[in-house]
Amino acid sequence: MVLGGPARIAARGEEGMAQLLPEKIAGWSRADEDKVFTRRNIFEYMNGAGEIYLAYDFQRLLVREYAKSSAPRIVAEIYQMSSSEDAYGVFSHDREGRAMPLGQAAIYGGGLLRFWKGRIFVRLMAESETPETRAAVMALGKRIEAAIPRAGKKPRLLACLPSEGLLRDSVHYFHTQVSLNAHYFLADANLLDLSPKTEALLARYRRAGGKVRLLLCRYPAWAAAKAAFEHFNRVYFSDKPVPKSTTRVEKVEKGQFVGAQWNDRFVILVFEAADRKTCEALGAAVLGRIKEVFP
Amino acid sequence: MKSHKPAENVTRRDFLRGAAYGTVGLALGLKGLEGQAAAQTGAPFAAEHPVSLVVLVRNERAVDASHNVNAQLVAEMIDTAVKALSSESDVAKAWQRYFRPQDVVGVKYTRCTSHRIHTEQAVIDAVGKRLAAAGLAGTRIKADDYGLPLRDCTALINVPTIKVHFLTGIAVSIKNYINFTGRESSYHHEGSVKLGEAWLLPDVKGKTRLIIVDALRPYFGLGPQINPLHRWDYKGILAGSDPVAVDTVCLRIAQTKRNLFKGEEWVISPPPKSIASADTVYRLGTSDPLKIKLIRLGWEKDMLV
Repeated sequence: MVLGGPARIAARGEEGMAQLLPEKIAGWSRADEDKVFTRRNIFEYMNGAGEIYLAYDFQRLLVREYAKSSAPRIVAEIYQMSSSEDAYGVFSHDREGRAMPLGQAAIYGGGLLRFWKGRIFVRLMAESETPETRAAVMALGKRIEAAIPRAGKKPRLLACLPSEGLLRDSVHYFHTQVSLNAHYFLADANLLDLSPKTEALLARYRRAGGKVRLLLCRYPAWAAAKAAFEHFNRVYFSDKPVPKSTTRVEKVEKGQFVGAQWNDRFVILVFEAADRKTCEALGAAVLGRIKEVFP
Repeated sequence: MKSHKPAENVTRRDFLRGAAYGTVGLALGLKGLEGQAAAQTGAPFAAEHPVSLVVLVRNERAVDASHNVNAQLVAEMIDTAVKALSSESDVAKAWQRYFRPQDVVGVKYTRCTSHRIHTEQAVIDAVGKRLAAAGLAGTRIKADDYGLPLRDCTALINVPTIKVHFLTGIAVSIKNYINFTGRESSYHHEGSVKLGEAWLLPDVKGKTRLIIVDALRPYFGLGPQINPLHRWDYKGILAGSDPVAVDTVCLRIAQTKRNLFKGEEWVISPPPKSIASADTVYRLGTSDPLKIKLIRLGWEKDMLV
């Protein structure tokens, strides 16, 4: 099905993307002309919702609809990102569903299949779920997956997450404030100076006192990380004394504890902890991983 | 807004202790805030002397197991809601409380390509039919999402859906007018805090007489695109004339559903600042659950509010 090799697909842009998709699948046929959207006009396809794709380095979207007589339509969306890390990132935005063995990771639920492989994020949705649409969506997913020539790297930052107690479906990888606030409202202002140049992970951990939330940010330079740590301290703990060290734990609302730590290009934050020790232990564990992954 | 800090410095901590975004935290049912409120002034949505009235009607058979909408039942639910809101026992009289035959009425419904959560056609049709029955000629009824002739309209009826929104917090009646601005994307910034401006545009201000919310199949998930697992058949219709009160009730329904779905508190994020600012900045209505009276009618199971 793939007419060119991997290099040709990359070079040919939307034409190459279209060739990831079959004309027919499981009785469904291509219904209309393909639609292609770029960073410039993605809002024509999804109103204001394009923001979340723009928050990653989204390059191009190809949309193809499949129809079958007396059956729900199936919409195929192929997103080309500039890096495999961002394909993973978009995939990690909404992780609700059942894991499926497809691509580098896949989730299915209610007629919606999403997976990523290489620089491609794929979203296949049946207008309504029936046994037939489910089979067709899965078959389409397999065809597309096979046509994507090679896998890509996950974000290296993921390796900094300690595995003990990690709720794997809770991990989100992103760059900017819009993604953070969609998952976890921290502040109106960009307290952590997040930008397209930063990488961030939000994850939850199970601990003795309940679930806690970890936010790990990596900056392009240590000075940027230091500035972000100071910005966060200044605003988030505006009612508390300025810390003298690069690590602090504070008791906040609801009797919870928040830990904040700066080290080189990293800022590590722990939220919703039941006690000080939990903040300190998780922060230390993350720092240990950072030193192994980014020596 | 009732924030004690400059807006740009509002944090999660301020929000959780009720020091930001007015009564939205209360509407979200945040623990602690609700306990304080109940201890002082009573239960949310049970005001004895309400500033605003909202009617919720549900029918178990309004949507079937395949998610098909029963248009006849939906029309009946809308009739029931408008009668209760107007305190009229006759449907035609109830609608005549809001619209006159000489009005030109814009019916602003929702078509959302990214979520694919549209106002159901059954709801739009029922509204049009009742406007006609109230004496309006067909040419005086303008139904659309984009392109309503606002200048010609003497009255508006707002017919949104309910969807949790990753930029706005929640999108119901207040956000439904974002198209009127012609600058939709610019209103998504700062948590959509300025959405209330759309209601004060010269061709819009003061024209909204009725809000009918299609709560048949709301969306409570993350977005921006629909995940079918985050949509549920609530089988409801809401009616009101205060957009802030209506959205506040819908906020509570969506928040409660999220909590039930996850089995733990899953607070809508970002906070729906547009509701708070519509109340305290643009003065479009009240977001205080203690000042709203909710009339609940019909199917009670999993009403969530």
